[in-house]
Amino acid sequence: MPEQAETTARAERFWNPYVAGVALGLVLLASLLVAAHGLGASGAANRVGVTALSALAPAHVASNPHMATLSAGGHHPLDNWLVFEVLGVLLGALVAAYSAGRLKKKIVRGPNISVPWRLAAALGGGIVMGIAARLARGCTSGQALSGGAMLSAGSWVFMLAVFAGGYAMAYFVRRQWR
Amino acid sequence: MSAIATFLAEHRELGLLVALLLGFGFGFVLERAGFGRADKLAAQFYGSDMRVFKVMFSAIVTAMLGVMIAHGAGVIDLRPLAEQTASFTWLWPMALGGFLLGVGFIISGYCPGTSVVAAASGSIDGMFTIGGVVIGSVLFAEAWPLVGDFYKSSELGHLFLYDVFSIPAPVLALLVALMAVGMFIGAEKLEHVLARRRREGGVVDDGQSRALEVDWAPRPRRLIFGGIGGFAVLGLVALAAPERPKAAPARLGSITQAELARRVLDRPWTLRVLDLRDAAACAKRRVPGAECVPETKLGALGLAYAAGKRDLVLVGAGDLAVLPPAVTRYPGKVLRLRGGFAGWKAYALTKPAALAAGADAAARAEWTFRSALVAAMTGRKAAPPPPASIKGYAPKRKKKKGGGC
Repeated sequence: MPEQAETTARAERFWNPYVAGVALGLVLLASLLVAAHGLGASGAANRVGVTALSALAPAHVASNPHMATLSAGGHHPLDNWLVFEVLGVLLGALVAAYSAGRLKKKIVRGPNISVPWRLAAALGGGIVMGIAARLARGCTSGQALSGGAMLSAGSWVFMLAVFAGGYAMAYFVRRQWR
Repeated sequence: MSAIATFLAEHRELGLLVALLLGFGFGFVLERAGFGRADKLAAQFYGSDMRVFKVMFSAIVTAMLGVMIAHGAGVIDLRPLAEQTASFTWLWPMALGGFLLGVGFIISGYCPGTSVVAAASGSIDGMFTIGGVVIGSVLFAEAWPLVGDFYKSSELGHLFLYDVFSIPAPVLALLVALMAVGMFIGAEKLEHVLARRRREGGVVDDGQSRALEVDWAPRPRRLIFGGIGGFAVLGLVALAAPERPKAAPARLGSITQAELARRVLDRPWTLRVLDLRDAAACAKRRVPGAECVPETKLGALGLAYAAGKRDLVLVGAGDLAVLPPAVTRYPGKVLRLRGGFAGWKAYALTKPAALAAGADAAARAEWTFRSALVAAMTGRKAAPPPPASIKGYAPKRKKKKGGGC
């Protein structure tokens, strides 16, 4: 059906990467100048996890030195700049996907991988990244993007290591994507 | 910090609303860039679509040049903003964390931020990745006894590339921008070569190369490259413009006992402490790391010619009434310790009074800090508890065997 083909083509249309990059850079610049804060993501996930855990086992969370620091200053772990920022990401992406005709229940996967394996990989990769992001004090948003723009040495080491890790592992999981 | 940022820091709720708005922009652009799609992101690591690299580096270069220009125009001060927004550098934890994040990236197809974007556009796999990131963060915290030492290792403090290479920040920014443009051109060439090889290899149009054709439109690309070049030059002009004369009151200030104690413990490399009392008193007891320089000998330090990167802290017996003329020409910040050494003795060398019942969290934290400070400064922490005397028990002395060294 030509009509369906047209909607598919429309849903495949993304911004030119350089235009998107400059737009992203301007959002980041606004954040740095207006809020004196970089953009982040994994910090919010960490806070969600700790909140969920403290609902189940509050004493356990309070006794863990790494988790206890999150409620320092008397604020709830979710009462935090990054958490609100990531809520905004969720809304912004929702509006962008809806207006581009891409808001649809789907499972993005390569041609040679089954649905359960794809979901297992998504979960497993997420767990690895959760650990990695705590170790590095941030992820691609907080360290590579925000710290990179501020020319932090550690952030640049992190960014190069991300690409190194991706390329090193790519060969072993090629069946998932090609 | 810019004036707006200071205002937002004072109005917490408004700041959170701004966070929501900034996040909205972040999420919107990420989605439109194609970062909500695992296949597009993973393609980066198979060379077929360098979208991730192009978007990330043009974003970094844009924000970096913008910050440099804002610094040059006097809207912000680069180093304080950089220290506030960027974390310390922990070399090895960050290198290993980055590597693992890359591994997780290619397995899941997302990074933590883009998984949120994917989930918002309806990807079930994106939701699974978010779940994974949450679980992974908690697992890390649970493994704290195992990983805590490594987590805190190789701490280098606030370290920026312009410190590492000892060149002015705007020049380094220009070099990074040029390097990025060079790498963009390389990425375009590589994609072109790989796409042609794929076509010659008889692979039919698989959608990825169609996306490539769109990227190949040369006009916006030239515009962006030209724009980056232009802004880089603007940044350089900002460097060439004469340094704004800094108002003297901003440079001369004072520091409280609490601030000094925290900085001496946490970031001693940002300070140079000069003890101006007479040599004998200073030799007996002083702020850790302080140099004993009686006022008459200040001239010999050549402070006017120092780099001025560290803040100079002056410690007198009590409050310093007048600043010695030799220090006013120091190019960096000059801070008088409020209360002088007498104040330090009362704050850091005397046990704090016991806490009243029902003290609030801030008072408790302050008390904990002061107790730890006193213990660290007076060596009481190291003193073992008095031995319990047990009747008829004499500790056995180990016989020394041989020489030993």
